[in-house]
Amino acid sequence: MKRIKAVVLKEAFHISRDPKSLAILFLLPVVMIMVLGYSLSFDLDHIETVVVDYSQSELSRSLTQKFSHSHTYSVTQMVRGKQSQTPEETAEEMLKSGEIKQFIVIPHDFSSRIKKGKTSHLGVVIDGSDSNIANIIHQYNEMLTFDFMAELKDIKDILRISTKLYFNPENKSAFYIIPGLVAVIMIMISALLTSLSVAREKETRSIELLFISPLKSHEIVLGKTAPYIFIALIEGALILAFARVMFHIPFRGNLWILLMFSLVYIVTGLSLGITISTVASSQKVAMIATLLVTLLPSILLSGFIFPLDSLSPILRAFSYIVPATYFLEVIRGLILKGAGLKHFASQGLILIGFSVLFLVIASVKFSQQRKAGK
Amino acid sequence: MRIYYLFKKELIEILRQKEMLFLMLVAPILQTIILGYVVTTDVKNIPVQVVNLSESQDAFRIVNRINHSSLFDVKKISHTPEDYISIFKKGTSKAIIILRDGFNEGRRNLNYPEVQILMDGIDANTSGIAAGYFNGIVRHYIMTDIQKKGIEFPLKNKTVIRFNPNLESINYMGPGIVALLLTIISMFFTSIAIVREKEQQTMDTLLISRLTPLEIYTGKALPMALLGLIEMGIGILVVVLVFGIYIRGNLGYLLLAAAIFLFANLSYSLLISTLCTSQQQALFFSWFSMVLFLLLSGLFTPVENIPTAFRWLADINPLRYLIRIIREIFLKGNDITYFINDLLIMSGITVVILSLSLFNFKRMVSK
Repeated sequence: MKRIKAVVLKEAFHISRDPKSLAILFLLPVVMIMVLGYSLSFDLDHIETVVVDYSQSELSRSLTQKFSHSHTYSVTQMVRGKQSQTPEETAEEMLKSGEIKQFIVIPHDFSSRIKKGKTSHLGVVIDGSDSNIANIIHQYNEMLTFDFMAELKDIKDILRISTKLYFNPENKSAFYIIPGLVAVIMIMISALLTSLSVAREKETRSIELLFISPLKSHEIVLGKTAPYIFIALIEGALILAFARVMFHIPFRGNLWILLMFSLVYIVTGLSLGITISTVASSQKVAMIATLLVTLLPSILLSGFIFPLDSLSPILRAFSYIVPATYFLEVIRGLILKGAGLKHFASQGLILIGFSVLFLVIASVKFSQQRKAGK
Repeated sequence: MRIYYLFKKELIEILRQKEMLFLMLVAPILQTIILGYVVTTDVKNIPVQVVNLSESQDAFRIVNRINHSSLFDVKKISHTPEDYISIFKKGTSKAIIILRDGFNEGRRNLNYPEVQILMDGIDANTSGIAAGYFNGIVRHYIMTDIQKKGIEFPLKNKTVIRFNPNLESINYMGPGIVALLLTIISMFFTSIAIVREKEQQTMDTLLISRLTPLEIYTGKALPMALLGLIEMGIGILVVVLVFGIYIRGNLGYLLLAAAIFLFANLSYSLLISTLCTSQQQALFFSWFSMVLFLLLSGLFTPVENIPTAFRWLADINPLRYLIRIIREIFLKGNDITYFINDLLIMSGITVVILSLSLFNFKRMVSK
C-alpha cells in the first residue's frame, strides 16, 4: 500500500506540472456538451414542400391547405416553372439542389374524378438521400392524406390511434442526446487521461527507472491509475451538473446511485486507457488507438445515436463489449425513468468486470515488457 | 530538391513504426466496414408487448400484422392490463400496444378497435419513427378492409423516392464515414508533426539547416497529404466494393474536393502543432476539435437543426462541405453546378487556415 502511494504521488506531480493540459481537459468537455447538446437534434419541423396544383379547384386547395396548416410542413405553391420549364421540371431541379425535401403534384382531373367517385392519384416525389428523413416524410404524408380522405367520406374517426410517450412526453431529442453525450465524453476523457501515462514514460525512457524499482508491476499500474480517478470524477460531476442546469434534464432517480455508477464507469475508462498505454510504444500510437477504441464505438455501437435493437446480431454482439452501452442504459434509466438500483445490478457488475480485466491485462503486459526491458 | 529530403525523412519517420502502419491502413478499413454495417438508421426489431383487450376479428388480424412486420419484435401478447410503467423501467419492451373495442353505434359495419401505443419516449428518434410505422400498419389494414366492404377510396399517393429508391442508409452514411476517418487519421498524425520536433529538440536541427521556413512547412505537410489521399482511395474502394455503392457523379471532382479538404485539415493540424508545447496538448486539442468537426458535420444529424448561436461553427467546418459534396456526387450524381458554392467556400476556408497556420509557423521559427 505504501509503495502504491509513492507511485500515486509521483503521478500527481506529473499531472500538476502541466496545467495547460489539465485546463484543456476540464474546459473542453464543458464546451463540447454545450455546443453539441444544443446542436444535435433529429427533430424535423419544417419539411420544405412544393405543391404543383394543376387542378386549381376547391378540393385541391383544401388539400394544399391541409398541408400548409400542419406544423411539420412549410409549403410553397408553384404555378409556373422557371423560364421554359414545366413546374414539375423546376421542382425536380429544386429537389436535386436540396432546396426542398419533396414535391407534390395534384393532377388536372383531381376534383372531377373524386366527385365522380373514382380514385385520383397524387404524385409525390421525395428526396431519399437521407433515408431516415425520407421515411418520416412518407409516413407524415400518408397520415395527412388519409385524414383528408376520411373527412371527405365522412368516416372521420374510423382510425382511432392514440400515442403516448412515457418519460419524455414532448418527444424532445435533448432527453436522449444529452445522457448519451455524457456517457461518450466521460469514457473518452477518462481513457485519454491514462492513455498517455505509461507511453510517455516509454518515450522519455524514464520507464526504465520504474522497471528497476522494487515495485511490483500491478502496483505500478494501480498507482498510475488511481490519481486520475479524482480528476475524472470531478470532471464527470461537472458534466452532469452542466447537463442538468443547461438542458433542464430531469433527474428522476437517486443522485448517489448515479454518482456511484459514474465512478465505476470512470474506472473502466481509466483502466482501458492504461491498458492501451502499456501496449502502445509511443504517445501518438496510444492516443490514436484510444480514440479509435472509444470515440466511434461509443457513438455508434452504444445506442447513443442508433438504436441497438435494430443492429444485426453480429454487431449487436460487438455492442456488448463497448462499456458505454451499459452506462448508457444506466444513465438513461436513472435520470429519465427514475428506475432503481435493482434494475441495473448486472450493468454495474459487468463494468466492474471490465475494469478488473483491463487492469490485469495491463499488469501482465507491463511485467512482460519489464522482463524484456531488463 | 531540398524539400525532397525532408519529405523522405518525414515519410521514413511515419512508416518506421509497424503499428503506425496498422493504425493508418488496416484500422480504417476495418472501421469503415464495421461502421458501414452499423449505421443503418433504419429502425427495426423494436421489442414490443401487445395487450389485446378486444375479442374482435379485426383486433386479431391487426395483432397478426404487427407480428409479421420487421419493425416490431413482439415479446409477449397478453389479454389483461398490466403495470406499464414498470415494464418500461425494466426495459424489456420499448413499446406497448393496447387494442380495445371502440364504441361507435352509428356504423356497426365499420367499427374498428381503438388502438393505443405507449412508448418509452427516451429515444425520441426511434419512438417517432415507430409510432409513424405503427400508424401506417393500422391505417393500411383499415383501408384494405373498407375497400373489401365496397367503399372506394378517392385518393391515393403515388410516392417516388429519388436518389436512393430503396432507402438504404448505407448509401448515405458510407461515403461520409470515409471522410470521417480521413479527418481523424490525418489530423492526429499531422498535429504532432512539429510539436514532436520541439519536444525532442530536433526542431533546431531543422532550423539551422538550409531549408527555408516555407520549405519546412511544405515538407511536413506533403507526406501527410500523400498518405491521406492514398487512404481516401482505399476508403472509397472499400465503400464501393464491400457495400456496392455506385458513384453516380464525377470521380475527378470527388478527388478534387477531397484534396482541398485534406489541405484545410492539414493546415489546421499544423496550426495546432505550432501553438502547442507538448505532444499531449496537441493530441488533446486535436481530439477536441475533431469531435466538434465530426458531430457538427451533418453526417449524423441535420445541420439545419443547429441553433443560430452555434451555426457559425458548422459554417467554418470544412468537413461539413466535404460531406455535402460527397453526397451530391455519390447519391445524386449532380454535376459541379450544384456544389460549386460548397467547393468555393471550402477552398476559401482552406486558404484562410493555411495562411494563418503558415504565418504562425514563420513567427515561431523566427523566434
